[in-house]
Amino acid sequence: MLAIETRALSRRFDGGHGVHQLELQVPVGSVYGFLGPNGAGKTTTIRLLLALLRADEGEVRIFSQSVAPDDRRALREVGSMVETPSLYPHLSARDNLEVTRRLLGAPKQHIDEALDIVDLRADADRRVRDYSLGMRQRLGIALALLDQPRLLVLDEPTNGLDPAGIADMRVLMQRMVGELGMTVFLCSHLLSEVEQIATHVGVLQQGTLLFQGTQQALRERYGDALIIRCLDANSVCASLAGLGETPQRLDDDKVGIRTPRLADAEINRWLIERGHTIHAFGRSPYSLETLFFELTQYGVAA
Amino acid sequence: MIILRRALSAEALKLRHTLGLWLIWLAPLVIIVLTVVQFSFQKTHGPMGLTPVKAWMNFCRGIFTIWCVLMLPLFVTLQAALLAGLEHGNQQWKHLLALPVPHWSHYAAKALMLALMVVASTLLLCVMTPLVGWILMYTKPDYGVAWPAPWGWLLMHSLECIAASSLLVGLHTWVAIRWNSFTTAIGVGVAGTVAGFLICQSEKLGPWFPWSMAAQTVSGNEQRAMLAIVVSLIGGALTGAIGLWDYARREYA
Repeated sequence: MLAIETRALSRRFDGGHGVHQLELQVPVGSVYGFLGPNGAGKTTTIRLLLALLRADEGEVRIFSQSVAPDDRRALREVGSMVETPSLYPHLSARDNLEVTRRLLGAPKQHIDEALDIVDLRADADRRVRDYSLGMRQRLGIALALLDQPRLLVLDEPTNGLDPAGIADMRVLMQRMVGELGMTVFLCSHLLSEVEQIATHVGVLQQGTLLFQGTQQALRERYGDALIIRCLDANSVCASLAGLGETPQRLDDDKVGIRTPRLADAEINRWLIERGHTIHAFGRSPYSLETLFFELTQYGVAA
Repeated sequence: MIILRRALSAEALKLRHTLGLWLIWLAPLVIIVLTVVQFSFQKTHGPMGLTPVKAWMNFCRGIFTIWCVLMLPLFVTLQAALLAGLEHGNQQWKHLLALPVPHWSHYAAKALMLALMVVASTLLLCVMTPLVGWILMYTKPDYGVAWPAPWGWLLMHSLECIAASSLLVGLHTWVAIRWNSFTTAIGVGVAGTVAGFLICQSEKLGPWFPWSMAAQTVSGNEQRAMLAIVVSLIGGALTGAIGLWDYARREYA
């Protein structure tokens, strides 16, 4: 069963950043990492899923129920946090939750349950203006969890958080999936974070879905790579190009070749003979970040 | 109806710790304090020879004129901007509109809350006015104010004033929600109030100009007052409907 399904979903804008014929398939119980460079259409997609925007064409289905701005019943199953959490800073966390609870007509005990999940019970009566960014993000998640949804849609939930806050958010999301059996649709720029928690990924570029499936499937599709750690990635790339290979500069000191033409040992000898300093040399699976760059050809040469 | 009740109850909670809540009683209090100060510094040369009823009428009409011409339009302007600002300020719309709640309920709750604030403040003024009269009985006996207070007149004019502000409530709710800028909402209100101050005495334009409609209820001309009330009620219903339609069709991009 699918938690989210879109059929030929399209939305155009005059200035670009729309989406085109999107066929998202988010399985129930998955953590779906939705990736794409800036302007790829991620936020537009999320706003279409939440019926904040009208689609030009196509359909959004949440747990098999159609969603549109005029028919929002299926959103009862969805909790969301789009970019920064929307909070009333002059109210306490409890009052913020109470505002949403009143709108939804949810039972009162949901407030304490949501506060417990995000570990904010002790600070529930403090005004939100005194909260740290991490606490605000957690409260944003509590708001999303208030009506005990089956699907959580999160757009950049780790925006602006320090490493400890990011780790907290990761643990929280793992709990929501593991203990509460929720499906999480996660849009984030932190690819290393997505890599750690996502079971599925979708890669969007210029409004078109380039890949969708499990992380495993993504790796199988792109295989492993020869990773060379060196002193100067640029000069190593130039030498390898001279050898007829197609290297990728992954970092200042890191070069990757996805499908080398020659044997690894030959490549190593070629580089040593040309005086390059090589710190490490070997086969390694591509990180999600590298695969993302590979797919979108963003930031490095293909 | 349940949806609207929920939205209204959420709206009431949002007002906690806000200036909007204080303004409900501060606005009429300012009028009362200013009136006391004005009368305290006014020199009288012996009894003015007014009957208690006439003295009360002069006094109450003075207070309600300041309220209707100046304070009420500014009060509606500021409260509408504050109510909408609660959502504009922290991009609350995207959270509210993503909830499985009909969009119209957010707008309707704001408009209703603004109307309730006008009702509460005007009725507070209605209750506070005799208190000032009571002070005057002791501090300025020359004015001839004496018990009983004209409760009937006060209540009737309060209700007329509330009814005549319907269009103002509808207009300001729409402007404050439609445009994110606090300045736009305040600018429209201040410009309207100043224009209303000049127009309110015009027999032709007064009953038709939204910011001078309430002032017609204390003009002493019953026909103008009734015309202003009817136009305001119809206009309020129309602007409310147009505002709801505009809000419901908007997207959050």
